[in-house]
Amino acid sequence: MIKRVTGEQLLAIGIILIGLVMAWQIGDIPEEAGYAGIGPRFFPSLVVAGLIVAGGALLMQRRHRNGPDTILSDGEDDTEQLEAEEAAERGEANWNMFIIASGSLLAHMALIGLVGFTLAGTFLCFGICRALETRRPALDLVLSFLLAIGLFHLFKALGLNLPALMPGGLL
Amino acid sequence: MESLNALFSLGFATALTPANLLWALLGCTLGTAIGVLPGVGPAVTVALLLPVTQSVDPTGALIMLAGVYYGAMFGGSTTSILLNTPGEAGSIVSALEGNRMAKAGRAGPALSTAAIGSFVAGSIATVLLTLLAPVLASFALQLGPVETFSLMMLTFAAVSAVLGNSPLRGFIALLLGLAMGLIGIEGQSGQSRFTFGLLPLIDGIDIVVVAMGLFAVGETLYTATYENKIVGRIESLAGSFWMSKSDWKRSWKPWLRGTAIGFPFGTIPAGGTELPTFLSYSAEKKLASPAAQKEFGKGAIEGVAGPEAANNAAVTGTLVPLLTLGIPTSATAAIMLSAFQQYNIVPGPLLFDTNPELVWGLIASLYIGNVMLLVLNLPLVGLWVQFLKVPRPLLYGGIIVLATMGAYALRQSWFDLMLLYIIGVLGFLMRRFDFPVVPLVVGLIVGPMAEKHFRRAMSINEGDLTVFLTHPVSLIILLVTAAILLLPPLLKRRQALLGCTR
Repeated sequence: MIKRVTGEQLLAIGIILIGLVMAWQIGDIPEEAGYAGIGPRFFPSLVVAGLIVAGGALLMQRRHRNGPDTILSDGEDDTEQLEAEEAAERGEANWNMFIIASGSLLAHMALIGLVGFTLAGTFLCFGICRALETRRPALDLVLSFLLAIGLFHLFKALGLNLPALMPGGLL
Repeated sequence: MESLNALFSLGFATALTPANLLWALLGCTLGTAIGVLPGVGPAVTVALLLPVTQSVDPTGALIMLAGVYYGAMFGGSTTSILLNTPGEAGSIVSALEGNRMAKAGRAGPALSTAAIGSFVAGSIATVLLTLLAPVLASFALQLGPVETFSLMMLTFAAVSAVLGNSPLRGFIALLLGLAMGLIGIEGQSGQSRFTFGLLPLIDGIDIVVVAMGLFAVGETLYTATYENKIVGRIESLAGSFWMSKSDWKRSWKPWLRGTAIGFPFGTIPAGGTELPTFLSYSAEKKLASPAAQKEFGKGAIEGVAGPEAANNAAVTGTLVPLLTLGIPTSATAAIMLSAFQQYNIVPGPLLFDTNPELVWGLIASLYIGNVMLLVLNLPLVGLWVQFLKVPRPLLYGGIIVLATMGAYALRQSWFDLMLLYIIGVLGFLMRRFDFPVVPLVVGLIVGPMAEKHFRRAMSINEGDLTVFLTHPVSLIILLVTAAILLLPPLLKRRQALLGCTR
């Protein structure tokens, strides 16, 4: 029987992959043996081993309603039931909003050097408001701008330099 | 008595200077504000303030940061009671009874017992801190790298196995934190590790970026994806504000019991304020008079008084290991530790000798901060209620702008904004799949310290790994660590078996 791969199992695979990438990178650390044989590779090796083992355990974990979680199923296995209950409690995901919020953050990253802190910050704040389904976008746009320009001048006064659109200017 | 002497001659002399009083007031006010605002916790605020405090003198800066930590616990109860959305994790339980009280028109007494209880617990806990810290520090002076490393292993085990529902998830979070802590130049050999050839990674990942990413960006992504439909309703502050005679009578014992539960939990590395608040709640539920017991679930004042006292006492308790051992036991304490590091001050047993004004000034400021917070939170509660009226989209928008600004201001580089987003997505995934974040933050900060102590222990003892078991103090610590890891699953298994046979 083929079971659908759950999000949690994908996450477990991701953790194992992080471990493997790190294991590959350990080879790049020069092994200057250090005193008493403990060099700069020792701790990373422990962490990598831990990530791979723990990721594997998460991948195979079976959950039980009353007893402790186990790696192997010992008869009673409530994993799927518990997951379904938790999903119901969490409610439906709205991925459009995740994309709007992510897009705003990434656009801000790209824009801040080009159009300065104030405009990039306004755009970001407004984007987050949209992602949280604001019911009064026009007002939020104005308030976002006021917040961004206020912070820009506050921090300019405090000696923290943020990128501006106009050299030494207002925005 | 020596500690009382130091407190009055050094501590209050430092804390009562106008500048430091102002820092304390600023910290307490900010702390209350962020405690009130849902979605912003003390950890993210302390992280946000780190770059700002770089130009402030260390004593003033740490007094302010402690005020934020403290104030958030006071302010959090207001949100729990009036909005039923806990402002921070330590206030989850107060939302149970407190919000019911508010619905029944008893918001005033609920807020009062929370604020006065926090004050009582905070003050008693600060007295305990004053008396205990120097004793523990002089004991800790005898600990070498072997014992310190074992102590850090205990911290790792406790924060990952005790917090949250699943020890496995706690460990994965811890390992991710340890992995992030490895990035950059390794102190002893000067080798760069896991930088993937990227120049900005040589200095390592800044705690500011991690805290903002996990707590601000991750939280916002989660709220946008899953929680847009949830609407909160603010209960009004109608009715008498003052506690009646019977309210006082029913509150004072829970306050003291909450303090007794909260303080020890703060001092041991079991991380955070959730556990003691839950324990206090169930203790009050059992110990309440039969008449009051019927009120539990419908708004029993004991259920607010106890947990609120417990969370404040626990916060003060976390300062004991932080100041005397240099070991943080909560996310906020971990970020405060990096504030010390920013000034090249190493918290630990030597701190009482090397920076007595700073330590005693900080401790004295806690007494002062407690009084400030009582005033800020009781008569001025109406002001903080206005904060709850800030629409959620705008609130999160503002938090994100501040978070990106904090990350960008570190080096004026888009690279940190990229890291912020990546860690934000990690925070989102951790929230979605129920992973605790405290082990990650503690791992990130304590990991590099643990590695240093381990290598030092190895060079002193010529690579002999058995020293961790032959040093008696280290052995005891490691046995406790093993007990923390092994006992809970065994007990659970036993319970399950008993359940089956019945």
